[in-house]
Amino acid sequence: MTRLRRNPRGERAAKAVAGGARIRFDLAARAEDRGRPRRDPRAESAELLIGGHARPRLDRSGAAGAAPSSVEETAPTAPKIAVVESPAFLIAVVPDALGERLSQHDRQLFGAARMLAGADGAVVALVAGEVEGLASAGADRIVAIGEPGYDPEGRAAAIAGALSSLGLRYVLFPETSDGGDVARRLAVLSGEPLFSDVEQFSATSVSRAARGRRVEQRAASKRLMTVAADAVAAYAGPEREARPEPVAPAAPIKRAILDARRITADPATTPLTVADFVVSAGNGVTDLALFRRLAEALGATPGASRMLCDAGLMPRESQVGASGSVLTATCYFALGIAGAPQHLQGVAGCEHVVAVNTDLHAAMIERAGLAIVADAQDVMQALIAALKEEGA
Amino acid sequence: MKIVVLLSAGLHPVSGQSILPKVEAQALRLALALGEARGRHAGPTAFPASDALGHGLPHLVHVEIPAEADPVPALVATLEADQPDLILAGRRGQGGDETGLAPYAVASRLGMALVSDAIAVERGEADGTVIVHQALPKGARRRLVVRLPAVVTVHPDAPAPRAFAYGVARRGIVETRLAPPGLPAAERLEERPYRRRPKLMRSAPACGSASERLAAAMGATSSGVANVMVNPTPEEAARAILAHLRAIGVLPPKAA
Ligand SMILES: Cc1cc2nc3c(=O)[nH]c(=O)nc-3n(C[C@H](O)[C@H](O)[C@H](O)COP(=O)(O)OP(=O)(O)OC[C@H]3O[C@@H](n4cnc5c(N)ncnc54)[C@H](O)[C@@H]3O)c2cc1C
Repeated sequence: MTRLRRNPRGERAAKAVAGGARIRFDLAARAEDRGRPRRDPRAESAELLIGGHARPRLDRSGAAGAAPSSVEETAPTAPKIAVVESPAFLIAVVPDALGERLSQHDRQLFGAARMLAGADGAVVALVAGEVEGLASAGADRIVAIGEPGYDPEGRAAAIAGALSSLGLRYVLFPETSDGGDVARRLAVLSGEPLFSDVEQFSATSVSRAARGRRVEQRAASKRLMTVAADAVAAYAGPEREARPEPVAPAAPIKRAILDARRITADPATTPLTVADFVVSAGNGVTDLALFRRLAEALGATPGASRMLCDAGLMPRESQVGASGSVLTATCYFALGIAGAPQHLQGVAGCEHVVAVNTDLHAAMIERAGLAIVADAQDVMQALIAALKEEGA
Repeated sequence: MKIVVLLSAGLHPVSGQSILPKVEAQALRLALALGEARGRHAGPTAFPASDALGHGLPHLVHVEIPAEADPVPALVATLEADQPDLILAGRRGQGGDETGLAPYAVASRLGMALVSDAIAVERGEADGTVIVHQALPKGARRRLVVRLPAVVTVHPDAPAPRAFAYGVARRGIVETRLAPPGLPAAERLEERPYRRRPKLMRSAPACGSASERLAAAMGATSSGVANVMVNPTPEEAARAILAHLRAIGVLPPKAA
């Protein structure tokens, strides 16, 4: 690769201006094939000028040049929905969808399925009953498998039917008590290989811990997989189609589970670490009898900050934070808690936080999804009154 | 009612010593509360499953198989002859592959029903049924009526095992049987030493500036743009809080 040899005479001749008695050259003229075009800073800044101001002002955001076209675009664009019209293959997800809502774990499952599906495949949600938010979670199709309620035997039979009739390439389950149960039933029913409790998930291979976390087993993606919580990120792309797909009803099967009744946890006796909804009191709560009545009315497990536990106003088991319990609750409702770092460590795993505090600049207010700057006693009173009014 | 408890050779989670998994000792306690129970273990030696004798098991049947063989066919072969009504097992192995598939495979080959994650088992009102209390996440429970014969896997939240007693262990009987020949070897997967990996941060945005990701990792602003109400009337605040709690689904919807 040698550089082209310059030809100064030829270059000069190319710049000769025709006509005239004497030979003249226009040395400013550029040969076409030489390097990048020369910048014209003056013209560029003239383009950025915004009119209508006494002093010249430039818009350097890059919007100036594109302005006319962007006005047309923004007019009537509906939120974009990604559609897979004729998928090359199907990846199924069986979310737990407890109470017809997707949990964070379920959403991560859809993220994993989208990773496997790529651009050509479609993600099918196998759900019982109406489940909210499947489109934004990343489902292209929805297939109904039976009625809501506890029916692992029926569910496994229905999925086994869909496995062959829809030709599902992979089926993903959450590694929870119900999801893992159905996955194992399906594995023995269909004879398909199951890779359970996936901790490392990629488009081609999966791995899991075994032998008491001493070794790691790795394999290519199996047809049935159960995925542990927090192994994959949830899907964050554009909304998908979530088109309901008809499916033949499953043949009736003989069930051995004759009756199932769910007994909700008693919030008063549930340990804080497993409680779903925790209402917690801090130094800003002076009326603890009122606080206990509120916890009972809301059906929440009572917690407290260290200040109250140290003062002996609340039992030590109810302490939330680094030296107390670390919560896994869906919602944490903090009354009069400043949000010290040691306290917030216990709340880090909570999905939603509601805070009531008189101090607008408390760290708890900053952490909260809904923050009320008001006196905790008054708010507790009003909450109990509102709940009583609804109940009456 | 004929009850069999499946016992396995586990590894201690910390020391790596060979032990009887705790959840199987818990299963044994549930079984003994229902009636007379027998143990069943498939493996090269009776130990450590024979520790169950000290927890109150009177009789253990040990099916001798090579260490690398799949225990399910051996168990099924001996259980077929016994026709138990109820089989109790742990929810996952401990120290092996830990897939939790063995009870399902046994149940399917014996044509029995299966119920997972029990914390209590009692006799049902109707003959040939049992009532199983199942542990669910977040402290909830489920009460199931199950027709026998059934396999029930036991959850670690079940009552603690009976205390180990040396004298009781000496009095227990271990009966060793030879497994039918021609057992298939268990499937082996590619293995390597376990490596801890960074945990996925649920709330962390995939993109965004470093300071945003740090803030998300510390749980500072995971709820997005905060909805702050400054000095509302208590009634307003109560209404807003109840509406928010209902929207996120922790409070049941308003009874109309
Ligand atoms: C090693 C160590 C470990 C710790 N571990 C923990 C732990 O595990 N858990 C824990 O909680 N703490 C722990 N702490 C203590 C922690 O640092 C804080 O001191 C404690 O959390 C503060 O509790 P608080 O928010 O209830 O009280 P305060 O800091 O006194 O805050 C009270 C808040 O209530 C507000 N308030 C006052 N009056 C009202 C009213 N009428 N209505 C509404 N709001 C009002 C105030 O504005 C203030 O924000 C630990 C500390 C150390 C050193």
